[in-house]
Amino acid sequence: MNENLFASFIAPTILGLPAAVLIILFPPLLIPTSKYLINNRLITTQQWLIKLTSKQMMTMHNTKGRTWSLMLVSLIIFIATTNLLGLLPHSFTPTTQLSMNLAMAIPLWAGAVIMGFRSKIKNALAHFLPQGTPTPLIPMLVIIETISLLIQPMALAVRLTANITAGHLLMHLIGSATLAMSTINLPPTLIIFTILILLTILEIAVALIQAYVFTLLVSLYLHDNT
Amino acid sequence: MLSRVVLSAAATAAPSLKNAAFLGPGVLQATRTFHTGQPHLVPVPPLPEYGGKVRYGLIPEEFFQFLYPKTGPYVLGTGLILYALSKEIYVISAETFTALSVLGVMVYGIKKYGPFVADFADKLNEQKLAQLEEAKQASIQHIQNAIDTEKSQQALVQKRHYLFDVQRNNIAMALEVTYRERLYRVYKEVKNRLDYHISVQNMMRRKEQEHMINWVEKHVVQSISTQQEKETIAKCIADLKLLAKKAQAQPVM
Repeated sequence: MNENLFASFIAPTILGLPAAVLIILFPPLLIPTSKYLINNRLITTQQWLIKLTSKQMMTMHNTKGRTWSLMLVSLIIFIATTNLLGLLPHSFTPTTQLSMNLAMAIPLWAGAVIMGFRSKIKNALAHFLPQGTPTPLIPMLVIIETISLLIQPMALAVRLTANITAGHLLMHLIGSATLAMSTINLPPTLIIFTILILLTILEIAVALIQAYVFTLLVSLYLHDNT
Repeated sequence: MLSRVVLSAAATAAPSLKNAAFLGPGVLQATRTFHTGQPHLVPVPPLPEYGGKVRYGLIPEEFFQFLYPKTGPYVLGTGLILYALSKEIYVISAETFTALSVLGVMVYGIKKYGPFVADFADKLNEQKLAQLEEAKQASIQHIQNAIDTEKSQQALVQKRHYLFDVQRNNIAMALEVTYRERLYRVYKEVKNRLDYHISVQNMMRRKEQEHMINWVEKHVVQSISTQQEKETIAKCIADLKLLAKKAQAQPVM
């Protein structure tokens, strides 16, 4: 049994060297590239999926926004594969670490906002005041809007971290509950079924990628290209 | 990188060299050469059509073949697993159940949707091939059509003399028609002239006849003396009276 519940979230080290780098660099090995037109089934399905998602995501941007398409598509693929690989037993998910999610969220958000402020100052500042507010409320509303803008990167990072961590913790807990129950031999089948259901719901961790990239994308779009 | 530092130092030292600093990266990269050596992997070697055979999705078949002369692979596997479990090398923990459920869901998903995904991928590839094949077929068809058109054009050239014959006939007919027209015109003109002469002759004859008749009448009238005139008039009156009597005798209808 592990020391405590949170042992699986320690950044792994091999003899004091960070193995987290290797773990982060592992998912691209699962997405092969090919210089042929007709490939094996793996490459064909992956290429089809990537084409589908990129088309879906990028249609609503104009030309300037589409320069970000490589960044966003690689982001969604990275988060999806990392989350899915974390479901395997005894594996480490880098996206459970807040440091990594902050490192992903803050530069992207800041880049989008600064791009918007550089090109269209009036448009970017106009987001701070919604239309049709009564005059006495204006100062308060500006403060509130500023806070809501500044909190966006934190929200992105913390959302992802919290969701994935909570999922992993829950799976660990229910697993240990099953372990305890198996010696007492109460109907453990019920609990194993709950694990299964929880697992399939956890595979909506993939939906978190959707949420992550989508919110990032929406904020990018609203900031820069309107 | 050091050369860049040297270049920027030189730029600050001598301002005239400042423009040379822009050449720095270019000079750096110029020492790199591209496209040296033989191009390998040309033509690109073909991929194998099917992957290696695998048992239980994980262990390649060669492993089993390798073990069969020495020991049974299943016995080896079972022995290893039981050894790990009993010696607590692999501890049954909470993760075990998590692993069981994850692997169970994965196996279920693969067994259920595997063939569907495989067929889908095959269909995608086949669509690509079909597109290319269609492009090739269209190109072949196009060229075939061009060849056929060319052949028919060449065949037409053989039959060109029909066209020339028809044209020749047309021209001959046109010539004939113009010739006939002109002939007819000539005929009409000549007839006109001759008619003129005939009518002139007729008119002369008529005039002469009239003149003769007038001359004869005049002389006859002159030759009738007054005595003869009186006698003839009296005879006529006597004849008329006789006729009148005869006429009165008949009843009037």
